[in-house]
Amino acid sequence: MKPTAAEQSLFVVILGAGKGGSALIELLTRCSGIRILGVADSNPDAPGLQLARYHYIPTTSDIAWLVARDEASLIIDVTGDPAIPSLIARHKSPKTEVLGGIAARLIWSLIQAEHEMYEHLAHAEKLSTLGIFTAGIAHEFNNPLHGIMGFSQHLQGETDPAIISEYSREIVTLTRRLSEMTKGLNLYARTGQMPEITDVQIPQLLDEAIKMAAFSTMLDEVTVVRNYAPVPDMQVNPSELHQIFVNLIINAVQAMNARGHLTLSTGVEGGYLTVTIQDTGPGIAPQDLARVFAPFFTTKERGSGTGLGLYIVRTIVNKYGGTIEPVSQSGNGTTFRIQFPLSSAA
Amino acid sequence: MALWPFGVHDREHPSLGVILVVDDEESIRKISRLTLTKAGYEVIEAENGEKAIEVLNTGENPLTVDVILCDIRMPKINGVEAIQYFRTQYPSVPIIVQTGFPDLNLATSLMKQGIVDYLVKPVEKEKLLAAVSKAAEQRTTCNT
Ligand SMILES: Nc1ncnc2c1ncn2[C@@H]1O[C@H](COP(=O)(O)OP(=O)(O)OP(=O)(O)O)[C@@H](O)[C@H]1O
Ligand SMILES: [Mg+2]
Repeated sequence: MKPTAAEQSLFVVILGAGKGGSALIELLTRCSGIRILGVADSNPDAPGLQLARYHYIPTTSDIAWLVARDEASLIIDVTGDPAIPSLIARHKSPKTEVLGGIAARLIWSLIQAEHEMYEHLAHAEKLSTLGIFTAGIAHEFNNPLHGIMGFSQHLQGETDPAIISEYSREIVTLTRRLSEMTKGLNLYARTGQMPEITDVQIPQLLDEAIKMAAFSTMLDEVTVVRNYAPVPDMQVNPSELHQIFVNLIINAVQAMNARGHLTLSTGVEGGYLTVTIQDTGPGIAPQDLARVFAPFFTTKERGSGTGLGLYIVRTIVNKYGGTIEPVSQSGNGTTFRIQFPLSSAA
Repeated sequence: MALWPFGVHDREHPSLGVILVVDDEESIRKISRLTLTKAGYEVIEAENGEKAIEVLNTGENPLTVDVILCDIRMPKINGVEAIQYFRTQYPSVPIIVQTGFPDLNLATSLMKQGIVDYLVKPVEKEKLLAAVSKAAEQRTTCNT
């Protein structure tokens, strides 16, 4: 009999939580059959340590202690510190293997290449979505522009101070509206290259995402229901979470043909911060449920969907240690349910 | 043609015509109202397609409205749906579309349905007045 996946599990220890360590954590947590026993770095602010905590992976600054763990099948050393190999040799259990030096550098390069590929995909997905936004963006910009143009033309030659101040106020309001929109667009279009982790209020970000989604489809016929129970702030890159919500909202609205109820909820359930996005569309066919997250899976017409939306969504959710699942019965709408471990909350 | 001052449209000084302005945005309707009334037209307003149909079906309006100036993206009944209705029910009332969508396909399909102009916002007031005056003339020719 073949051994089961659990029996085959590799228990990995990662030394070094800088760029290399973070990339390793991101990749290995996506592989089944691999468990990360712990991550060590002498710098308590190393970015990989935070990432590890999202995934409930123990972290420590005590490298010797972690190296000595008996269950470890493999130690991966990406510290680049010349003192580490001898420290490993002194403390590790005899059956633990070590990946270090040039071999670790090779792995690091492979991961780097994979990571770059993903970043390109994520960016391409954003650009393709921006493509479907352009008509909506033009519309949303042209309306206030029309107002600004109109009030300015009527200001010319106007001498009544009351009217002058009234029209100027209108122009200021319209200009503010334009600048709000460019802010929203900027949040979306920003590339993933510079991760900026900040405290993020999820309900506020959901509202931003609705505004953004309104560029791509008519939301006038969609009743938006907000069930925001108070949730703690999350420590995340807002641009990434924004991309998740925009994609899910656009999918929901597209599924409903822009007519129906869109319900957005937040809440805390048993150690998880939960966000659900629910629509009253046709639902997802049972045979498609397992495939919707696959890259390039789409049921939309050629040219209107790349099928990358949900793939990117799931990758980002997993990155923060979260899970996402569709709950759908054909004909009864779809609910996408996201759960983030509360450890990633501030 | 003389331009009557703002709001003058009694029997002795009839307005240049009655324009139904359909747009869901108050500030946009205000601009159209300013431009058109200053030029001597009388303006009635509706904030969506449904209201526009209601207004046009009220009292003497089917006879007195000379031109419809209509937005496309609006709640309830949108511009495309409203225009279809106007074209079948009131084929003699000229329609000008004034929208934020620079959409060539939409413009072509609406032109085929018989709208007289497709203006993309932002529209300068001279351009609007030229389009409206051309459309109003068409209405007069139709009626005689
Ligand atoms: N809310 C939903 N209701 C019904 N089906 C959905 C919903 N969300 C996603 N799907 C299905 O999952 C498929 C994949 O979604 P995904 O967002 O990955 O790609 P897409 O929307 O087709 O294209 P893109 O997002 O690149 O524009 C969709 O084509 C659709 O069949
Ligand atoms: Mg999608």
